[in-house]
Amino acid sequence: MCKNRSQWSTHIKAQLKSVRDVLYLSGPDLQRRTALSCSEVQELLTAAAAACRRHRPTTALQLHHSERQRSKSSLRLSAACPVLDLLLRGGLPVGAITELSGESGAGKTQLGLQLCLSVQYPPEHGGLSSGALYICTEDQFPIRRLQQLIAGQSVLRSDVPSSLNSCLCFSDHIYIEHTADLESLKVCLSRRAPLLLGQGLVRLIVVDSVASLFRCEFQADDWLERNKQLLILSSMLHYLSQEFDASVLCINQVTDVFSQSANSLGPSSSSVCPALGLAWANQVMVRLMMLRLQETVSRGDESSTLRRLEVVFAPHLARDGRHVAVWREGVRGVVLPE
Amino acid sequence: MRRPIFSLKLSPSLKVKLVQAGFQFTSDLVDLSPLQLTRDAGVSQQEAREVLQAVRIHGDRVSLTGLELLKKEEELRSIVTFCSQLDGALDGGLPVGKTTEICGVPGVGKTQLCLQLAVDVQVPLCFGGVEGQVIFYDTEGSFLPQRVVDIATATIRHCSLLAEDEEQRVAMTTFTVETILSNIFLVRCHDFVELMAELHLLPDFLRDWPRVRLLVIDSVAFPFLQLFDDLSQRTRLLQGLSQQLISIATSHNMAVVVTNHMTTRLRGDQSHLVPALGDLWGHAPTIRLLLHWDRTQRLASILKSPCHMAATVQYQITSWPRLLSDVSSPVLPANSAASQVTSR
Repeated sequence: MCKNRSQWSTHIKAQLKSVRDVLYLSGPDLQRRTALSCSEVQELLTAAAAACRRHRPTTALQLHHSERQRSKSSLRLSAACPVLDLLLRGGLPVGAITELSGESGAGKTQLGLQLCLSVQYPPEHGGLSSGALYICTEDQFPIRRLQQLIAGQSVLRSDVPSSLNSCLCFSDHIYIEHTADLESLKVCLSRRAPLLLGQGLVRLIVVDSVASLFRCEFQADDWLERNKQLLILSSMLHYLSQEFDASVLCINQVTDVFSQSANSLGPSSSSVCPALGLAWANQVMVRLMMLRLQETVSRGDESSTLRRLEVVFAPHLARDGRHVAVWREGVRGVVLPE
Repeated sequence: MRRPIFSLKLSPSLKVKLVQAGFQFTSDLVDLSPLQLTRDAGVSQQEAREVLQAVRIHGDRVSLTGLELLKKEEELRSIVTFCSQLDGALDGGLPVGKTTEICGVPGVGKTQLCLQLAVDVQVPLCFGGVEGQVIFYDTEGSFLPQRVVDIATATIRHCSLLAEDEEQRVAMTTFTVETILSNIFLVRCHDFVELMAELHLLPDFLRDWPRVRLLVIDSVAFPFLQLFDDLSQRTRLLQGLSQQLISIATSHNMAVVVTNHMTTRLRGDQSHLVPALGDLWGHAPTIRLLLHWDRTQRLASILKSPCHMAATVQYQITSWPRLLSDVSSPVLPANSAASQVTSR
């Protein structure tokens, strides 16, 4: 990185170990510490900046074309239901954090499980040809329900040839972790998750749920520490999703809205809002919400409580929602008669 | 005008040497040769050359009168937002040559406004646009081409409806989605070191692409949130960044737009929403726009501006073509305003 030997020795004197250290310092600061002249410091900064650069600026057109070339669906993870995919413009974005919040019993875990199966399909059927890592922090993993969903795949995915449905070994590609406290969740995300992602065994991480650990481990008055831990967790998830081109789904609980100040966070369509506050909300790209409605819908001998999946915000989606119901084979959009 | 040596951009030790040798103002140095300076001030030859170069550069600068500055500023156009109320409040749009910060809670439309501006800065001159290019620093990964295509399509539709004379119709033939996308330069920055590095390399980039008129950082808060351990270093880096942004805006005649998160601040018993990154950062942008919710309405307020009245206007985010696009659906400009201005 350096132009000559004498420059190099002065850097060592100034205890600048890496290229990144150079950019931490301002120009005058560097000048004082290295005793280089103004123009030399500029040269050094430019060399350091060039070394830190990952890509040259690309035009949006190049990005758009390269996205088109990769088959369209590999940028999104299909929710395995045409109604929901239409709402989400193809499904969950890859390389970003999506949050799904809702009251208990709203069907969050159901959708999480469904995505764990959907990710295993090849790209032409909306999947990523890979497995899923399911991290449970609240409850036991609902293994019986998963078996039921696997059995129902041929019904849910009638668009997929039945030969493909039968040859995919769904339960072999879902890695389940139980983490009872924040520390073990961090260990899981920093050690085991990169291994699975790096080998290509996994391209979807589901955290069910993020709120429970934070809600039980922190008192109301150590919110500063709580925010710090939230940022550490979210930066880990950001790193994993970007570095390995994976989808991250964080299931979140909700809190009741009491005060008027919470209203300023968004138009309140219901009396609840996602938990963990603004510090967490700033970290997610897509925020979805599942609401449990009063009505029930029935189909043959099955009946289900009606739910509504709503897009709260996303850079590419409109604020909109669809009615959904949970059937034996999975979560499906419901088109209500007018 | 006499300029003190201490104000020159030189290393502190060098300045001390010069002052100790009795040199007070740049005028004392102008006529000297490097050799004389070496002898008189006891500095090395290279240092002497550097000093004299610095003096010469500053000697070339001429002061401008207020009238000249006014004329210069009038030549710079503004970037229209196509949201008529907001354009009205901002006196024609976002000014070129100044820094603007857009802050708001997640989901209120910060990224949407940035994407809209990235398209709007390319509106041809004959439509009253700037006809420039954009450099877009994406720190959060929220730049999705899918949405830019939506906005570009809506803006082209809007402009083609406005086209009246031949010149404008000719301009419309080259104002296409393809050209709009090819004029947006995107840089994905994963942390603040990458952001600082890119900003440092920007002058080289601008030499190759002199038509760049808008710089967007979406968002500036996100990379700095990682520095939660060392707040004093964060403050120092933010100060450096703000200086860099201001100098880019003025020296290259560019509009600089950054977005910022909101954070909660406790004041007594009550909590308030305030822009993130602290009070010191608040001085960095020339204009500060706050996007916020009032029940189901989206509002934009001018929080700080030396040349605009404080105002609050309503805006909407519209036109989301379906995945299976519906040709008959009416297409509005992507951000269109409704309702009246309520001045405060």
